[in-house]
Amino acid sequence: MGISARVSEDGTELNIGIDGRFDFSSHQDFRKAYEESNDALDKYVVDMNATTYLDSSALGMLLLLRDHAGGDHANIRIINCNDDVKKILTISNFEQLFEIH
Amino acid sequence: MNQEAESGLKILIADDSNSDRILLKAIVQNQGHQPLLAADGLEAVALFQQEKPDIILLDALMPNMDGFDTARFVKANSGDDFVPIIFLTSLNEADSLARCLEAGGDDFLTKPYNSVILKAKINAFWRMLKMHVTLQAQRDQIAENNMRLINEQEVAKRTFDKIAHEGALHLSNIQYQMSPLAVFNGDVLLAALRPNGNLCVLLGDFTGHGLAAAIGAMPLSQTFYSMVAKGFTVKDVVYELNLKLKDILPVGVFCCATMIDVDFSGKSLEIWCGGMPENYFYEAETGQKKAIASQHLALGILSAEKFKATTHIQMMQNGDRFFMWSDGIIEAENAAGEMYGESRLEQVFIDNGDAVDLFADVNTSVANFIGATEPSDDISIAEIMMVDHIEKHDSPHKAVKNAAMAAMDWCYSYEIRPQTIRNSDPMPILQKVLMDIPGLRPRSGELFTVLSELYANALEHGVLKLDSSMKKTPQGFTDFYQQRAVRLEELNEGFIRFDLDYRGDDQQGELLMRVTDSGDGFDFASHRQKSSDKNCYSGRGLHLISSICKSVSYIGVGNQVEVVFDWHNVPNEDVN
Amino acid sequence: MTDQIIDEAALAELRSIMGDDFQLLVDTFVNDSEQRIVALQEAVDTADAELLRTSAHSFKGSSLNISAGRLTALCKDLEDRGRESRLDGAAEVLAGVRVAFDDIKAYFAA
Repeated sequence: MGISARVSEDGTELNIGIDGRFDFSSHQDFRKAYEESNDALDKYVVDMNATTYLDSSALGMLLLLRDHAGGDHANIRIINCNDDVKKILTISNFEQLFEIH
Repeated sequence: MNQEAESGLKILIADDSNSDRILLKAIVQNQGHQPLLAADGLEAVALFQQEKPDIILLDALMPNMDGFDTARFVKANSGDDFVPIIFLTSLNEADSLARCLEAGGDDFLTKPYNSVILKAKINAFWRMLKMHVTLQAQRDQIAENNMRLINEQEVAKRTFDKIAHEGALHLSNIQYQMSPLAVFNGDVLLAALRPNGNLCVLLGDFTGHGLAAAIGAMPLSQTFYSMVAKGFTVKDVVYELNLKLKDILPVGVFCCATMIDVDFSGKSLEIWCGGMPENYFYEAETGQKKAIASQHLALGILSAEKFKATTHIQMMQNGDRFFMWSDGIIEAENAAGEMYGESRLEQVFIDNGDAVDLFADVNTSVANFIGATEPSDDISIAEIMMVDHIEKHDSPHKAVKNAAMAAMDWCYSYEIRPQTIRNSDPMPILQKVLMDIPGLRPRSGELFTVLSELYANALEHGVLKLDSSMKKTPQGFTDFYQQRAVRLEELNEGFIRFDLDYRGDDQQGELLMRVTDSGDGFDFASHRQKSSDKNCYSGRGLHLISSICKSVSYIGVGNQVEVVFDWHNVPNEDVN
Repeated sequence: MTDQIIDEAALAELRSIMGDDFQLLVDTFVNDSEQRIVALQEAVDTADAELLRTSAHSFKGSSLNISAGRLTALCKDLEDRGRESRLDGAAEVLAGVRVAFDDIKAYFAA
């Protein structure tokens, strides 16, 4: 399990990758991933390619990221979700808040 | 470890050879430790008990009590403390070394004694002792914190139980399964009756665990019970709950919830669901279930402007059942780490033979899956069944004795216009006015049935001009409510006026209620003849109203209706 | 095992550890040893193999610590004989123990 953060070459997009279970144990790392980034960022991508599961505290963390990224003006895409992950996001109606692929 | 440990350890030296003992004493002293001397096992045990040494240097062969028995005694009587034992041996005889280990020895020192090696050994054990002491202290701290946490939870739970009391959960058409400590898993189940007799149930699931999850349950329950008792609708209640939770909860903490309103006389179910797993609606006639998915984000995420309180309306006949649960059931894990999942839940409904057993079947299936004999703490589930009418309940407004029942004579007029009609429900305000009359309180349920029916007629048929005959078929019923929502949204003219006229004293009273709407009226004379058809969903509830009121009369073109409701004090009636 | 009466280097180490108490260590060793020789004599006289083994074992340990090589070797011989109940010739070995012990006393008295 781990969180990785990568900034795009032009410095405007932060890609956060989540490996394994996305739950409360990822809390510190996930926050660090976006809080330590610079101010030029205006786009965020959460890559769930290697994410096996997420729980409600992960949903809370996504909301914290959204808040950090400007709330209603946040530009956040959640990509590469597997079916289980997508289902949880759908049940929670998170497509109303995030661009989910 | 001894208090003076920083200035050296207490080291017990047990050796029957006087010269060896003198030598060890010198080595230990030179290293800054405090030696305690014993010439045999018995002396060693006595010193161990009196002085509580940190480390013991023990000769294997001694008179009276040998080193092996001494070691066993020490290990058996050290409790949680770690008292390292270093055996003193002459030769590396495998057999006797094994006996030393077996008796509880932690290390060996061979003759001739080497002060450097002994120093290294003592220092190594010293580090272990410090670590052991730290671990013990941390363990004790954790145990103490845990005790404190449990105490705090118990206190919090007692407070919580008072605020989030069981409400109407005792009603016989409700079955539920909640852990007594569910609130610390973030789960809350609330039920209350509205003044019109409708039943409202809310199942909430806060993110997180422990006190953090429980804290939001307080305002949630308080708001729910207070608003439902005042007659607010599901939409009003969830709107307010969202506003309150958004205000209170930090970002990232929210409450998934399903709230329903069961209308026993209108045979319908209104559902708002945000962030919860699919609820199941079970139809008794066909034995089929249908999933009702969440359409909204959980409570406490969106600002008031963005929040949507739109509900789903479902016809519900007697015997139909509605199931609500939090994700605990879906995510219940067995020993292999597999989740129970939706397909197993669905299978229970497919396999079920008798709807009466459904609730028990679901619980049994989950329990069997996780291999538990008792329901898991995380599983919260409720079943609400449609019935003819619910059993008589304790009204929150018990009639009070005569003292407060002074004579009254007043009239009250309240007119609502498009903006208000769209956004709010006039019932709570009217209720407040009417419940000031003590004599009416025991009959609040009936009174509000009447008032709600009259208001619904004025709104739906008068102001919104919907045709009640639409409701004759199940499809039409659904269309009716869709149309209702559309027209309400577009409403920009019209009004509904309530005129209440009351006169009474401590023994009796008469209330006249006149409801006037801006609509075209209707042919009430011919309607009265047709309304004997009991199977239709329409009928403007006139049967019901007539059966409760002293008189019902339509005036003018039919856009104005006047009913008279009266009460008499029955002598010797036990009103408590 | 060295056959020296005393290992000088090891003894120097002992002197530094014991400091002023070095003489006490020597006196204690000498007293203990005299008692052990009495016990060994008794074991040989009564053909008590177990007494021979335990007394020789303790004597051997103390001798090792005082770095008395020859005495240690002889004590080990007696201990082995006691363990194996080979008491033939034990009296001759004990005589050797007395000689070695007298040499040590002479060394310390010098």
